[in-house]
Amino acid sequence: MAAPMELFCWAGGWGLPSVDPDCLAVLTYARFTGAPLKVHRVSSPWRSPSGRLPALKTRDEGTISKTQQIITHLRKQKYNADYDLSATQGADTLAFVSLLEEKLLPVLIHTFWVDAKNYVEHTRKWYAETIPFPLNFFLPNCMHKQHVERLQLMWGDGYMEDEEKLEKELYRDARECLTLLSQRLGSQKFFFGDSPASLDAFVFSRLAPLLKAKLPNGKLQQHLKSLQNLCNYCTSILSLYFPWDGGDPPTSAPRVGGAEGGDAEEDPHKRRNQLLSVLVGLAAMLGYAFLSGIVSIQRGAVGPAGRQPIALEEEEEEEEE
Amino acid sequence: MCNLPVRVVCRANAEYMSPSGKVPFIHVGNQVVSELGPIVQFVKAKGHSLSDGLDEVQKAEMKAYMELVNNMLLTAELYLQWCDDVTVEEITHPRYGSPYPWPLNRILAYQKQWEIRRKMKAIGWAGKSLEQVLEDVDQCCQALSQRLGTQPYFFNKQPTELDALVFGHLFTILTTQLTTDELSEKVKNYGNLTAFCRRIEQQYFEGHDKDNSGTAAARSAKRSLLR
Repeated sequence: MAAPMELFCWAGGWGLPSVDPDCLAVLTYARFTGAPLKVHRVSSPWRSPSGRLPALKTRDEGTISKTQQIITHLRKQKYNADYDLSATQGADTLAFVSLLEEKLLPVLIHTFWVDAKNYVEHTRKWYAETIPFPLNFFLPNCMHKQHVERLQLMWGDGYMEDEEKLEKELYRDARECLTLLSQRLGSQKFFFGDSPASLDAFVFSRLAPLLKAKLPNGKLQQHLKSLQNLCNYCTSILSLYFPWDGGDPPTSAPRVGGAEGGDAEEDPHKRRNQLLSVLVGLAAMLGYAFLSGIVSIQRGAVGPAGRQPIALEEEEEEEEE
Repeated sequence: MCNLPVRVVCRANAEYMSPSGKVPFIHVGNQVVSELGPIVQFVKAKGHSLSDGLDEVQKAEMKAYMELVNNMLLTAELYLQWCDDVTVEEITHPRYGSPYPWPLNRILAYQKQWEIRRKMKAIGWAGKSLEQVLEDVDQCCQALSQRLGTQPYFFNKQPTELDALVFGHLFTILTTQLTTDELSEKVKNYGNLTAFCRRIEQQYFEGHDKDNSGTAAARSAKRSLLR
């Protein structure tokens, strides 16, 4: 590839390079394969070319927005982490990814976005602090509604209303999923031996937020922490592939009010926004001034000096009428 | 496969009778349990299980492959039935609405279609074209074929829940008449999968047909792979 591809993803936080599981999956896969990507960590989906995150901007094929499609595209560009896998291992990858998506990811979304305590005290707070004004007032709620609707369609209305049933059955399935993953990993470094594959990227991206976030209501988190090999797995991937992103500047920047900005991307837009608001203010004032006749432009005389002639003219007009 | 005595009853309002809104469900004594997962758990609690002989890693793999089938094959089947306009018009609407008089048949069919389409949108399948869906089915079959290899069942000598689930889906795909044969062709590409289905049909269904006191409708609805 002549020009590097550009990846837009959610900003980092909680000790992770990105807080969103899908973005994290793509980032991790890219790191595993050494794909040359220019990563833009943005703090709102409006900054991304397709309006959604993650988004990969390529030269030839426009912008790709779905996680699976991005990974397929990287594979086509010869950045393939599954190159050395046997056919059975490839089949296992598909199966375990399905297991994650069906059993773990929905419960993960529920833990972060729907569970009342977690959402209000942790998730919404982080997003509200990171997303710039004025989006931060309605975007987190919008995302919350989207996630609730998705879970409702997946699980049926019965589950959403009955907290106990939800807790018992679905969380139990998720805990079982974690245990199964732990058993499959055993004491290996990665799922298929010594080098990481796409399955590792997916598993890491689902487990890492759960492990690292400081959730007030963390039953699933506790279960994960009890599975020592999975915790070690996550921390080793973090330290091997994301050593400098670990304890992130971007987390402190939003709290400072985003003025200095950890992200170079933030600055031009911040300045531009300030400049725009000043210009709009000026334009409003000038417009009012012209319309109400305080200021007018006449040939030769500009500004407040024109006040007298206008006043006289108006009086003359009135007298004439 | 567990050798449990069961009577199959076909009802038009089965979905409404089920506690979770989904079929199949079993009615045992005064308990009603729906969907494969809970039924398997229920049967296991009563002392019958097919997967006791598996070790932990194998159990993990079995669960993963069952999710693969649910995630890909089931969703593809739903997509084909409800989101592909040709199939919807010619096959699904008439079949779904057949027990009811007009206009109820149309209304219920549209309601179900709308519900399924919303679900597809939520999981991101609404934007897929038919070719992409068939491609996914192909990948799934390839994975299953790989895993099965030359063994008689997925976990060698004994059938497990995974075998039952895979058989259920593949048999349906292979024997249901649709407007095109593309879906069943995808499965037929993998010889070991068709042989697997045939083997299970012969072993568990041919013999039982004679003693089965199912309704005449059920019997005539059964089609054989051997035809």
